[in-house]
Formats: sequence, structure tokens, C-alpha cells
Amino acid sequence: MAAAIDTTNIEPTYLDVDRAVQQTLRPGGLKYWLWVLFCASMVALGLGFWTRQIYEGLGVTGYGQPNDWAVYITNFVFWVGIAHSGTLISAILYLFRVRWRTGVYRCAETMTVFAVATAGLFPIIHLGRPWYFYWLVPYPNERYLQPNFKSPLVWDLFAISTYATISTVFLLMGLIPDVANMRDISTGFRKWFYTIMSFGWQGTDKQWRNFSMVYLLLAGFATPLVLSVHSVVSWDFAVAQLPGWHSTIFAPYFVAGAIFSGCALVLTLLIPIRKMLHIENLVTIWHLDNLSKVVLFTSLIMTYSYATEGFVVWYTKDPVELVTFSQRFFGSQGYLAWMMIFCNCLAPLPLFAPRIRTNVVWLFIISIFVNIGMWLERFVLIAGSLATNTEPSQWRFYVPHLTEIAITIGSFGWFLMNFSLFAKFMPIVSMNELKEGITYLRQAVREVYPYRKAA
Amino acid sequence: MSVQTQLSASFRSDEECAEAIELLHRERIRDFRAFSPIMSEPIMEASRTAHEAPKSYVRFWVLFGGITGVLTAIAVTIGTSLEWNLNAGGRPIASIPPYIIIMFELMILFGGLSGVTGFFFHSKMPVFEPDPAYRTKFGADRFGLVVRCDDDQVNKLDSMLREVGAEEIVREAA
Repeated sequence: MAAAIDTTNIEPTYLDVDRAVQQTLRPGGLKYWLWVLFCASMVALGLGFWTRQIYEGLGVTGYGQPNDWAVYITNFVFWVGIAHSGTLISAILYLFRVRWRTGVYRCAETMTVFAVATAGLFPIIHLGRPWYFYWLVPYPNERYLQPNFKSPLVWDLFAISTYATISTVFLLMGLIPDVANMRDISTGFRKWFYTIMSFGWQGTDKQWRNFSMVYLLLAGFATPLVLSVHSVVSWDFAVAQLPGWHSTIFAPYFVAGAIFSGCALVLTLLIPIRKMLHIENLVTIWHLDNLSKVVLFTSLIMTYSYATEGFVVWYTKDPVELVTFSQRFFGSQGYLAWMMIFCNCLAPLPLFAPRIRTNVVWLFIISIFVNIGMWLERFVLIAGSLATNTEPSQWRFYVPHLTEIAITIGSFGWFLMNFSLFAKFMPIVSMNELKEGITYLRQAVREVYPYRKAA
Repeated sequence: MSVQTQLSASFRSDEECAEAIELLHRERIRDFRAFSPIMSEPIMEASRTAHEAPKSYVRFWVLFGGITGVLTAIAVTIGTSLEWNLNAGGRPIASIPPYIIIMFELMILFGGLSGVTGFFFHSKMPVFEPDPAYRTKFGADRFGLVVRCDDDQVNKLDSMLREVGAEEIVREAA
């Protein structure tokens, strides 16, 4: 597909922004559909194994005493964490009027919605009888049975469903002006689709006035959600009396980790997307540079959190905590914890160098390391802590079976398939906000231009 | 009753459009609407002043939704605890601290959804019959100002709008 935007144009106009985004929505070619098919086959693999698990029971997995929570809950926490950076970028940075968010926030928000949609599947997959998942919801019944609202699992249900709803509404609201723009230039099915999705938006002063208010308030609501949802997820563990879990630092530690992993995944997605969709002039090195600074900063917080965790264990001298902690690093699965330290604490350090932060290849490699590291962190924390509980006779390190591996692969396929389909039907970069900050975009393009010319 | 005409002016920048709105305000002309491809503070502010409109009412919807959410959470958590009266180790049947989390979540959920409902209500959306004055360019790279005025004001208004930067003005019967 030819680039509609002139890549040597260092003074993009409103129309350039529109054209650049509109050309990303042209029907996908063979490569695109092969990629979607590949993702769909990953989903089919996961679905197949889940069906087998439902039919035969959780015995087909590596689950068993004391490892009642393992890969599924790891995936749940991982995907919820991934979701958080989207809200951070779209809501918190919006409230602080951070200019570089305009190029990346739609992609991050989309990632949020599909990551939550993926995360929400795992507590259900984790159930032996998934068709009873609604038992967590309070509803009138003849037995007067109600969920226990003192349980973090019920808090989780409310937190995640609120987060999913508000994130989806936030994404759809932000899309309205851009979809209206697409409606004006589309024909056929797309015109019909965009007409429905734009709700008749025409950008009148009155519509914008109400839009700015509701968008601001939604951002205001989404901001505490970023902090609360992953705190609630962390309390699933911290409230339990299990060594390795029962810690007061879990809430901030989880929130920082969530932002860290999420921003890294935004980089992983944006770097190939901006190349494939020819939007390097909209999502510039300036945007990636700033995003990588967030990754670096949160990496340092993670390093500090790991150190604090170790210090607290050493300082309290609790023998069970000491054994759990030492098993985490020196037990039979200790290599996973060292890989986690490498990926989360050491691999992002080169980002201190501006040369690395402006090099897309390095950024992509580092972001992959962070993604792996953050998944490992959740695994080490969940499965590792359960493996060495207060009863040494029960100790057993969990090893995932084919079922969990296939379902995990399926979840990645599910996320990537949804994301890829969205990117071909909806503007993956916000046209109206980029136009609003066109001065900053021009500045960014001007700064990047000599670099690109040299390259 | 005098015959009315509709002038549809387009501008290159939002500052020019906002200036034109301020001009209409000075001329005490209120029957106008502006179109913008971006969320333009100058246009929104000028239009709000000209229409003597208060800040968006959407905030009250959000407040109402938020309060409803908290009250719903109180009713659900305490109500269900009393219905399933489980005494665990003598602890309170209805314990407020853990319920604050549910109250917080439902406040955000209800507040957000109510705000969006308010947005659709006050913006009169969905729009089933699009404004005929809307042009595709107003969603792309031009700012539009559509004014309805008496026939005898048309020429004067036309020249005033051109003076503040209108690049094209279309006259239509209102």
C-alpha cells in the first residue's frame, strides 16, 4: 500500500493528518488477512484445549495442591496490568495536558479494552465449572445466598467490570469525532457502519462543549481507576496469609508493574504498526522516546520494589518468608526469578541513552524483554509463592501442562486478532487530537526529519 | 415578518471563527451555530459567552450518577449481608471498610455511564436528520459558522465576516 502522506513533508496540515489516518483504513491485503488468520488459529487452538478442559476437568492441567492458582491467574494479572497503561496514557496524561499522548493514546486505549477483554476470560477459564461464573454476582435467589463482599474476589469482579465498561466507553467516546470524519468520506458498508458509530456527530459548538465536559469527567473517573483496579487485583494476594503474598507494598508495586508492562506493550505494538500503516509522521520518534522514558522510570520503581520486598523479608526475620524468598531465587525454578530481574531491571537500563530511545529496533527488543519479564514476575509471584507454603510436606513446584500453554497462546491470539481487526476498521490514531496539537506534531516531525534523512 | 437568510461561512483557523462569534455577540445575533473539526477552546468559549449558556450540564448528570452509584453499593452490600446473615468469628455482619471498595467502583461506573447519557441528551444525539448546513470540510480542515439573520442584515454581516477572515460565504434561504 502506498503511503498517502508525504514522508518528507515536515509541516503536516490538518488534511495531511486526515489522509494519513484514512489510508490506514483501506481494506487489508493478503498479508494482513493471513496474519488475522494466524491469530484466529491461535484462538482456535486455545478454544480447543479449553473445551477439552471443560469436558475432562481441571485434572488435565498441572493444577493441584498447593498450586491452585497458576498460569491462568498469572495471565489474568498480566493482561489486567497490560490494560493499565492505556488508561494512564489516555486519562492521566490527558488531565496533565501532556502533548505527546495524542499520537499514541488511541492505540493504548484500544489495547486496554482488548487486554481487559482477554483478562476477563481467565477467572472463568480458571473455574472448574465455568458456567457458574455468575455466582459472584449478587442476584435475588430462593436460597438467600449472596456473595461475600468482604472477599477480594468479589471486589475484583466489581473493579474489573467497572474498568472494562469505563475503558470501553472512554474509547468509544473519543472515537466519535474521528468516526464522523470517516463517515463523511466513506461509501457502502463502511459509510453505514461509521454513520451508526458516530451517532450523527457534526462537531457543533454545543456538541464539543458537552463532549469536552464528559471527556474530562471520564478522564477524571478513569484516573483513580488506574490506581484502584490493580490495587484491588493485588489484594487478591496481599489479603491472604500466604508467605510471599502477605505484603503491604503490593498495591503500589502492582500498579507500577502494570504501567511498566503496559507501556512496553504499547511500544511493541506501535513500532511495527507505524511502519506497516505508514504513520511514522504521526507517531514519531518523539512519541516513542517519551513513552520509553515512562518505561525506564517504571522499571526503576520495579527494581526498588524488588529490593524492598527482599529487605522486608530480611528485616522481619520471619523464617517462613525467608524460606519462600530464598526458594524464589535459589529453588528449582530460581532461573525464572533471575530472568525476571534481568528483563525488568537490567534490560531497560540502556534506555538512559537517548540514542537507544530513538532507535526503534532497540526499543522493540527492550519492550519484548519487558513483556516477558512482567509475565514471569506474575508467574514467580503466584505459582512460586504457592509452591512453598507454610507446610513443607506440601511443597511442589508447578509446571504448566499443554492445556495451560495452549490456552495462553490462544489468549495472545485473541488479543492480537481483535487489535488487528480494530486497526483496519477504526482510526488507530486520533485525528482530532493530533490536529488540535498540530503545532507540537510539526515540531516533532521537524526534529525527526534530519534523523530520518540521515537514515 | 421579515424574510430570513442563512449565511454559511468557513474559516481557516479557529481563532478567526471565534472572533467572528464574538462579533456576532456584539451585534446581538444569537441564532448561529459553529462547526469545528477539533475541540477548540476559543470557539467553545466564544459560543458559550454569545449564547449566554452555562457550563455543560453534563457535570450534574455525572454527580447524580456518582451519588446513585454509592447509594446502590450501600444498598447491595449491606442488604445482601443482612439477607445472607453469615456470622464469621463474631465479626460484624455488615462491615463498612471492605464495602467502600464496592461503593467507589459503583460510583465511577454509574457516574461515567450517567455522564455519557447526559452528553447524548444535551447534545441531542443520536442525530437522525443531519443539519443541512454541515459540510464535509467542517469535519476535516475548516471551521464553519452558520448564521441566520434578517434579509436587511445580510450584506452587512457578509462583509463583517469576511473582515475577520471568512474565506467563503454561502447564502441560503433559511
